[in-house]
Amino acid sequence: MSITILKPGISTSIQDLGRWGFQQYGVPIGGAMDRDAARTANRLCENDDDEAVLESTLHGVEIKFNETVCFALSGGGAKAKINGVDVSYNRLIKVIAGSTLKLHPDAYGCRTYIAFAGGLNIKKELGSTSTYVASALGGMDGRNIIAGDEIKINKDRKEPNAAKDIVIDENGFGVSKWKAQVNPLPHVNDVVEISCVAGPEWELFDETSQALFTNQIFTIASQSNRMGYRMEGATLSLKEKIELVSTAVTRGIVQVTNQGHPIILMADAQTIGGYPRIARIASADLSLLAQCRPGMKVKFHFINK
Amino acid sequence: MQAPRIYEIHDQALTIEFSTIISEESHLKVMQLHVFLNGHPFKGFIESVPAYSSLTIYFNEEISSQEIKVYVIDVLEKNISSFSSSAENTSSTKHIIPVCYDLSFGLDLGDVAKEKNLSIDEIITLHTRQTFRVYMIGFVPGFAYMGTLPSTLETKRKNIPRLEVPKGSVAIAGLQTGIYPSTIPGGWNILGRTPINLFDKTKEPCSFLQAGDLVQFQSITKEAFEKYP
Repeated sequence: MSITILKPGISTSIQDLGRWGFQQYGVPIGGAMDRDAARTANRLCENDDDEAVLESTLHGVEIKFNETVCFALSGGGAKAKINGVDVSYNRLIKVIAGSTLKLHPDAYGCRTYIAFAGGLNIKKELGSTSTYVASALGGMDGRNIIAGDEIKINKDRKEPNAAKDIVIDENGFGVSKWKAQVNPLPHVNDVVEISCVAGPEWELFDETSQALFTNQIFTIASQSNRMGYRMEGATLSLKEKIELVSTAVTRGIVQVTNQGHPIILMADAQTIGGYPRIARIASADLSLLAQCRPGMKVKFHFINK
Repeated sequence: MQAPRIYEIHDQALTIEFSTIISEESHLKVMQLHVFLNGHPFKGFIESVPAYSSLTIYFNEEISSQEIKVYVIDVLEKNISSFSSSAENTSSTKHIIPVCYDLSFGLDLGDVAKEKNLSIDEIITLHTRQTFRVYMIGFVPGFAYMGTLPSTLETKRKNIPRLEVPKGSVAIAGLQTGIYPSTIPGGWNILGRTPINLFDKTKEPCSFLQAGDLVQFQSITKEAFEKYP
């Protein structure tokens, strides 16, 4: 069983829940930006949570199903159509051979996760299938998906139990009657509230900067990627200039560059950093943040731990 | 021993900071705890990441950060005193790393020599005569931060980083020296190039150098560089 990528869209890569155990060698954890959605898509397919999925940013990806398969979509950033007909996210889908899935532009969310019942047949590298382009690790030869890629689906596992009730209609597909309950996706015009707590160097920032960080509305800059979200809206400064000794950083850490720009570290965050860390995002909100696209507005909301 | 500062950087990651300066003494403590935890992993332990003066412990939902904090303080009190103050308990592999300091590789060698008012040979001697300590691996997979350079070799990072630093480039910045494991952007001053492959995903471990290792550079000719297996 396999699928063929007709168009890769804006950016599509293979991800799982990350590459653990190699950070002491400088290898980032990586993995799905929105772990909740990657998990949901896998659970709908009755896969393990850590099974390889496709992570597709916004729209444009087009996939041909070479055999009849069961799969699921979760997350957002696009409207999905199979053979030109709308299909819903967060349900198990059964589709007949020769059909095509296409993701169209939408105003909600940022990343779609596509899981396939049985899982994708991708070789693990350093314990994970996650694509880390900078070191050519995981995925398809360590790179993002390109047009023409044929990706095999493991067929040694039986069809999901939930597929039994699916009726395939004249459009070539059918969906499960029930739906996974998920958190609502942010709209492009929303001001998204993201929970955070003070970071290890919070006290080193001057009061003006602390107040700005707390009250200001920030915009996710266009240079944002899987490594980090650069935030525009205020320039932050320390009480006094200080050179910090580099130490470990991880996803959710909000570091501030020498120019005063906050950067939220995301899935492909480097393992070590030397910038002062004003805050860290509550883990529970990292998936929400992963569904916020460049240009969207964010307000940080401090919670007590 | 002064009590370390312990703080979360994530719900499931706790940093043990032994000091806020770079010193061999605090790095030894980092490595002792790192080696101890990897030799005696607690339930829920995933991995630990050494840095200059701190160790960060990653764990899963089987344990809370408060439980780890109590455990680590206990380990430090009971064991650090029994860990010898030397590096005996931490594996210090010594590597001799061949470096070709030919000007075609040492892209900043001329500028550094001019700025320091030293000859190129003097720069090479300063870079090859001492043993450096690998403090941590980071920035990119396999990139070793090594120190400490003699103050005569202290340099500022380049104002405008190079968009492409060639793989294997041996470079200096501040009082540190490092090797670029792949061709990537970078702002350190390049003195030479090594034929050694610093990161190989098919090897165990994937990084040629590890925190705690000792490194001495050895000057080789361009001919030897090109013939290197």
